[in-house]
Parts: sequence; structure tokens; C-alpha cells
Amino acid sequence: MDGTNQVITILILLLAMAVSVVVTQFIRRRRSLVALRPIPAYQAIPLRVGEAIEGNRPLHVSFGSASLGGDNTLLALASAELFYQAAARAAIGAAPPILTMSDTTAIPLGQDTLRRAYQSRGLLERYPRGQVRWYPAGARSVAFAAALTAMLGDDRVASSVLVGSFGPEVALVAEAAARRDQGVIAASDQLAGQAAAFALSDQPLIGEEIFTAGAYLSESASQVGLVVTLDVLRLLLILGMLIPTALAVGDAILDGRFSAAITRLLGGG
Amino acid sequence: MRRLGAVITSALVIGIGLLTVAGLVVGGDLGWLSAIVEAFRIRDISSIFLQLATITAATTILIGILNLLVVHLRRVGRREKGWGYSLLLVLSALAVIVLAVLERAGVLKGEPALTTILFESVQVSIESALAGLVLFALVFGAYRLMRRGVSWPKLLFVLALLLVLLAALPLSAPGLLTSARDWLLAVPVSAGARGILLGIALATVVTGVRVLIGLDRSYRE
Repeated sequence: MDGTNQVITILILLLAMAVSVVVTQFIRRRRSLVALRPIPAYQAIPLRVGEAIEGNRPLHVSFGSASLGGDNTLLALASAELFYQAAARAAIGAAPPILTMSDTTAIPLGQDTLRRAYQSRGLLERYPRGQVRWYPAGARSVAFAAALTAMLGDDRVASSVLVGSFGPEVALVAEAAARRDQGVIAASDQLAGQAAAFALSDQPLIGEEIFTAGAYLSESASQVGLVVTLDVLRLLLILGMLIPTALAVGDAILDGRFSAAITRLLGGG
Repeated sequence: MRRLGAVITSALVIGIGLLTVAGLVVGGDLGWLSAIVEAFRIRDISSIFLQLATITAATTILIGILNLLVVHLRRVGRREKGWGYSLLLVLSALAVIVLAVLERAGVLKGEPALTTILFESVQVSIESALAGLVLFALVFGAYRLMRRGVSWPKLLFVLALLLVLLAALPLSAPGLLTSARDWLLAVPVSAGARGILLGIALATVVTGVRVLIGLDRSYRE
């Protein structure tokens, strides 16, 4: 990494830290000022859990190939937060939720998340450690998808929440669920997987919406702070792209005089 | 006591996280910041933490194999639906482990190795066959999307899909279709993809920073 890249990286991290701290403190004091826009998938998850409990069937959540220690470590943490929220609701049912993953590093994360979910309900003695299941992925994750399609039928799953890292093979799982009249909510950090998830989900999640599960399902001020921080930084990013574009277009039209005029206006040159 | 444990865990995570980031991000040409990193050998410390993470990740393979065997042996023991497949899975896994051990010990010889033959002839072939079914699942997805109700985004999605599929056909005069497909992929699809990736990148940075400064502390319970 050269000097410029280092400075830019440090500035981005410091900006993200500053905005996170300021926004989270603000939201903790003025929680009522922020209203989250509705996301159908997050509105549907509590309903899906309710249906699973009533039907005495398990809810299935999958991380896909999201892992700890790799490129998608933070995606694994975000998926774990979603699983925690769903599992904490489903813990009171007779059929415990099932968590699947294709990366072994996500197993301890999944076990701990399920344990915390049962602990939060005071049901630690019923903690079902066998419900966190690893299926090997193979070269293209198709073996993982095949294992899930079989599991959906064998365990009489009520609904699947496939939120993590998936390729287009997520279509096989979602199609198998649809054939069995099971609900599907899916999202992926991979573009091919996201496209398949959009087509086959009952309620799709897109892009960074995966990371906002805690805010929508728990409504804690700290988690809502993440959503607002994202919005603030997104706005800054848009401005960061629009300003140079406006300068370039202005210069092209006015033969380079636009940026000179702006520089003079700001007291330079 | 529990509260003290949570404080210690948080302090450890925040401290180690910040040290590792500093070791990774700060190079040799940032003046006093580089001097501090050099003086306290933060790069070496960061490297040790990363090596520890890699070793820990490697040991989780054993956890994975144990998890697979325990889950499926339990299914066999309880005669749950599909227990026959679970039994087959356990036997196959054990057989491959034994074969691999025998190969490593030099008892089984031969080129290519038996485990390689098993992998390439059985697993890769079956996976390739299954991958061929993804297309049908995607077409079913497009059909299902429209059946749930027609909206502009859904219509646009299906039209784009049809256009890309039609342009892939080996037609004799595909000029207009191919140009339209190329434009679609180069401009709106590329822009949308970058938008989604930027969103994910932004969310990743914010989530990471929140863990680093202790705003997200699921690990402390």
C-alpha cells in the first residue's frame, strides 16, 4: 500500500469511527426521532417464526460460505445477528431452529449465537447444539446446495432464511423450498447469488440491507445507529462522487474555466 | 464478576483489533505514525495475531468433521427421516478419511491417488450435473417472480433476463440483440452491480469499525 492509499484508508476509518460514535450517541438520546423505512423481508421474519412455532416445524437459517477470518468475516457477523434475532424468537417453540453453513470457521460462531439466543430466553437447558450443521461446500458450493435441498424435506422445514455468501446455486435451494411450499428469504454478497436470490425469494434483501437485521428485528438504539451511520456515509459517498463529476462536466463545457472559477470562489488561486 | 468479564473481553477485542488494523494499514512513509508503529513493533504483533487467527481457522476443520459425524450419527441413532442417507454419508466420510491416511502412510500407492480419482470422478461429475440444473431453477424463479404479482422492477428483471438469454442464441443475424445485450451489461447492469457492491463495502466498513470501537459487542456475553 503506497502512502496515498494509507492516508485514504486511515481517513475513511477515522470518518466511519467518528460518524458511528456521534450518530449512535445521538440515537441513544433521541431514539424517537428516527423512523426506519419498512423492509418487507424483516417484516416477514417474525411472521415466519410464528408460523414455524405454530406448525411445530423448524425455521432454517443459512450463512452459506460466509466465514470468520476471510473476506466476508463481517458478513458472517451480520448473518449471525440475524440468526440471533430469529432464533431468540423461535426458541420458545418445540422445534428448534436449524443453522447451516459451508465454512467450518462459522461453526463456533453459529453455536455461540444459538446458545446466546436460548440464554436470552432463559432456556439454556434446552439449547439444541445439534441444530448447527456444517455441510462441506465442494469446489462450487453445489454440494452444499444439494445437502440443503435434502435437509429441507427431511426436517420438514417451515421457512428458510438464506442470508450470507451464496453463488447462483442458491437457486437450487430456493426452488426446492418453493416446491415444498416453504417460505424463502434470501440475500447474498455475491452478485450472481444476489440475482438468483432476488428472483426466488418471497421477500428479497438487497446489498447492505443484510447488515441491518439487528436494527429492524431488535430496534435497539445502538443497532439503529448503524443504519443511520450507513445513511450518513452513503450521502457523503454520493457527494464524493457527484462533486468531481460536476467539476469534470463543467470543465468540459466551459473549457476548464469552471474549476478555476470554483477555486477563486473558495479563495484560492 | 460477569460484568468484569465483559469489560475484560471488550478491552481485549478493542485493543487487539486496533493494534492489528494499525499494523496492517500504517506503512513506512507516514512520518510520526510510522515511527510509533516501528518503535512498538506493532507490525510484528499484528502479524502474530493474524497467524494465530489462521491456525485457529485451520483447526475448525476438525470441528467441522466432528459436527458432520455427530449430527448424522444422531439421525441414524434416532431413525429420523432420511437416516439411510446419513448412514451412507458417515460411511463415505470414514472411508475417505481411512483412504487418505493409508495414502499418507504410503500403504496405498498409485498414480493418480485413489482419493483424487474419487474426488474427480465422483464428486466433480455429480457437482457438474447439479450445476446444470441451476439454469432451470433460475427460469422457474423468473416465472415465480411474475406469478407473485407484476411490478416495474420485476418486469424489468425478466425482460433483461430474456434479452440476455436471446442474445446468447446462435442466430444468423443477431446484430441488434447482441448490441442491446452488450449495452445492457456494460451500462445499467454494471452500474447497478457497482451500487450493490459499494453498499456492501460501506456496510462492511461500518460494521467493522463498530466492532473495533466496542459499539457492537455480541462477544461479551
